[in-house]
Amino acid sequence: MSRSFALSALMLSTALSTAAFAADVPEGTNLAADQTFTYRVLDEFSSFDPQVVEDVNGSEVVRDLFEGLYNQDADGNNVPGVALSHEVSADNMTYTFTLRDNAKWSDGNPVTAGDFVYAWQRAVDPELASPYAWFMELMSIENASAIIAGEKPITDLGVSAPDDTTLVVKLSQPLPYFDKMVTHATTFPAPKWAIDAHGKEWTRPGNIVSNGAFVLTEHVLKERSARERNTMYWDNDNTVLDKVVTLVIGDDAQALTRWRAGEVEKTEIPAGQYPALKEEFAEEAYALPRLCNYYFTFNTVSGPEAFKDARVRQALAYAIDRDVIVERVLQGGQFPAYTFTPAATAGFEVPSVEYAGMSQADRDAKAKELLAEAGYGPDGEKLAFTYLYNTSEAHKQVAIVATQMWKQKLGVEVELSNQEWKVFLETRGNQNFDMARGAWCGDYNEASTFLDLLTSPSGYNDGKYSNARVDELMTEAKSSADAQPLYTEVEQILADEMPVVPVYHYSTNMMLADSIQGWPVNNVEQNWYSKNLYKVSE
Amino acid sequence: MFNYSVRRLLTAVPTILILIVFAFYLMRLAPGGPFTSEKPLPPAVMENVLKRYGLDEPLHVQLFTYIKNIVCCFDFGPSFSQKDRSVNDIIAQGFPVTLTYGFWSAVFVLMLGIPLGIIAALRHNGFWDYLMTGLAIFSQIFPNFVLAPLMVLLFTLSWGLLPGGGWNGGQWQYIVMPAIALGTSYMAGVARLTRGSLLEVLNAPFIRTARAKGLPERTILIRHALKPALLPTLTYMGPVFVYMITGSVFIDVFFSTGGIGQDFIDGAYSRDYSVLLGLAIIYCVLTFSINLVLDLLYAWIDPKVRDSL
Repeated sequence: MSRSFALSALMLSTALSTAAFAADVPEGTNLAADQTFTYRVLDEFSSFDPQVVEDVNGSEVVRDLFEGLYNQDADGNNVPGVALSHEVSADNMTYTFTLRDNAKWSDGNPVTAGDFVYAWQRAVDPELASPYAWFMELMSIENASAIIAGEKPITDLGVSAPDDTTLVVKLSQPLPYFDKMVTHATTFPAPKWAIDAHGKEWTRPGNIVSNGAFVLTEHVLKERSARERNTMYWDNDNTVLDKVVTLVIGDDAQALTRWRAGEVEKTEIPAGQYPALKEEFAEEAYALPRLCNYYFTFNTVSGPEAFKDARVRQALAYAIDRDVIVERVLQGGQFPAYTFTPAATAGFEVPSVEYAGMSQADRDAKAKELLAEAGYGPDGEKLAFTYLYNTSEAHKQVAIVATQMWKQKLGVEVELSNQEWKVFLETRGNQNFDMARGAWCGDYNEASTFLDLLTSPSGYNDGKYSNARVDELMTEAKSSADAQPLYTEVEQILADEMPVVPVYHYSTNMMLADSIQGWPVNNVEQNWYSKNLYKVSE
Repeated sequence: MFNYSVRRLLTAVPTILILIVFAFYLMRLAPGGPFTSEKPLPPAVMENVLKRYGLDEPLHVQLFTYIKNIVCCFDFGPSFSQKDRSVNDIIAQGFPVTLTYGFWSAVFVLMLGIPLGIIAALRHNGFWDYLMTGLAIFSQIFPNFVLAPLMVLLFTLSWGLLPGGGWNGGQWQYIVMPAIALGTSYMAGVARLTRGSLLEVLNAPFIRTARAKGLPERTILIRHALKPALLPTLTYMGPVFVYMITGSVFIDVFFSTGGIGQDFIDGAYSRDYSVLLGLAIIYCVLTFSINLVLDLLYAWIDPKVRDSL
């Protein structure tokens, strides 16, 4: 542990800002009489149970229905939720949260630290079998792994409630970004009495008891759901929206038509339509940075022999003209990527990797040089491989453009292979590929959510890249007060060894009616809360 | 006729069992499982999840448990993708929706298709005949995936007469476009079949005899010609009706009805075995039931068929 870290960890007390809890309505705003916000989702939700939900849209609803220790503000910073503040022990292994005493469940019961203990134990309980149980392991909560494996009882989880307003969490290793992780739905409290009374049906309207700004009042599978103001919510007075309605619309184009018809106030933009819509609806078409990357992964273990040579991997990475892919193919406000971690990641300074600063012509020349050095190309061995992607028009377009670039610039022959999603995942997960498409969205807003993926033990490292120094740096980062230099070194190693080709960083493309205000456009996780929104009259 | 019906119902049982076994094993052959995801679950988490859904058992045990639960409790098991729901819940919520717009679509098909066919046959080679032929061609050129967006553009965006989608408890405004989009091409098919069949019957010797006896044309048509002329239409409508009331993926996705049609494709993509199996069984039972009803209708219409039962 570094000295600076030890000093900073000494009984660090974090008192969060008490501003910006709910909708921040400027004075003189003409609020609409009907404060109903209707938006579109693509699919039915996986669940409304905070410890079970696993889809993005479901988590959006759960954030409205339940409130965790902390919420996020419009910029993605933590602001008080049920917790007002927290303290960290000197060894950075114990977090003590102080909870507000005026938080209530929708049935009037007080929200206590015990509700969090119950929920967190529930999340790791093998009997519930939460698909997100791994998140509690990722949070390094003491004994989480052993409990999930059935080796210890759930009561051994490192979380306790000495009293109703104090929650103590013990970690198995220091985790400087632990507090950023408690905005995740899996960590939200759960009402034991309601779950005991209704079993699996506790999340149905009428049964559900929640502590967020809204309660679920309607849910018609695959069609619509509605949530309305929770009058028991501690900050109900500052909540403006009365009702939030989701409509499941499985077709992007139809959803856009219904947005035009005014039936929904928010929807995603169909692929390729952002530039035209931005021109037509300048104030309502958005392309926002998102905490996700898109990359090509080399199979460094059982792929072509050539892929074991870093120069070949570099050559292929250099020859990709990312500006063409982003500006001409995707046209959705995406960002060319030269590092694995998106620039939008909180606290991450993008390292100046050499190839990012070169012109594309220089990169192309260097690519030819590197390939020739490795013994491939016009004067060497012919390089040919198969590129695997899952069925999607956008993935196909990116694949075609990339392979054309490789063919024209380097004479590399690439065969395209596309597979249905689950087949693709299995093929890629079993390393039955040469090169494959990959993408990753951060689970929390910190660089390790991306960089951990390329460590040797990562279960998501499909290319099976292994570098002892990267593993060492990422382990060190977990207990370092300032991980940036470590992340910079990891990114430099990745740029040198190029186990993956970063292609672009995602953007969120959406149409949002200009009557809806308060959207957190700067929150790169797009963690939005309906309580912060309001509707102005047209 | 009663014995025949009982016999048919009894033969349905082993057929459905064979279907379950076949579908059960076929689904498991597809690569990837219900919990295969971009962020693969760690082994211990995966083990717990598989155990919870009984997927850690050998396949034959899973199959036996599945069939036992259906037979004893009419329980189609839990959905793997919609975690708080059972397949029974999903079918109970989606099937009435599909049944409703499927029914109105069938009404639309029959109420428009049969009269159009009759008119075309009676006005053979005249204006109405050409109009009907034109409509039939139109519906082939504009299948539902073309017709539906066109209708939405006109009725929703341009004229603001109907909502662009949704169900809202099944109010009539929400049924009109799905029913028409689903039924138009079938309506044309029914009209063409009715026309052709009626023309054939009207030229048959027994109709000539009826005419020679001096029976009025209306009586000839209604009492003698129409019943046999509708037999091909009935044959055609059997599977069409099953298709309509078991849902159309396109209609459900496009109009966001919440019907079970979409569950077929969602179930396949997400490897939600129990949803797929449950829907396959529903589909099979409906096909059997409707075919039985059609056979009985045949027997009612045609004495020769009745005698052979």
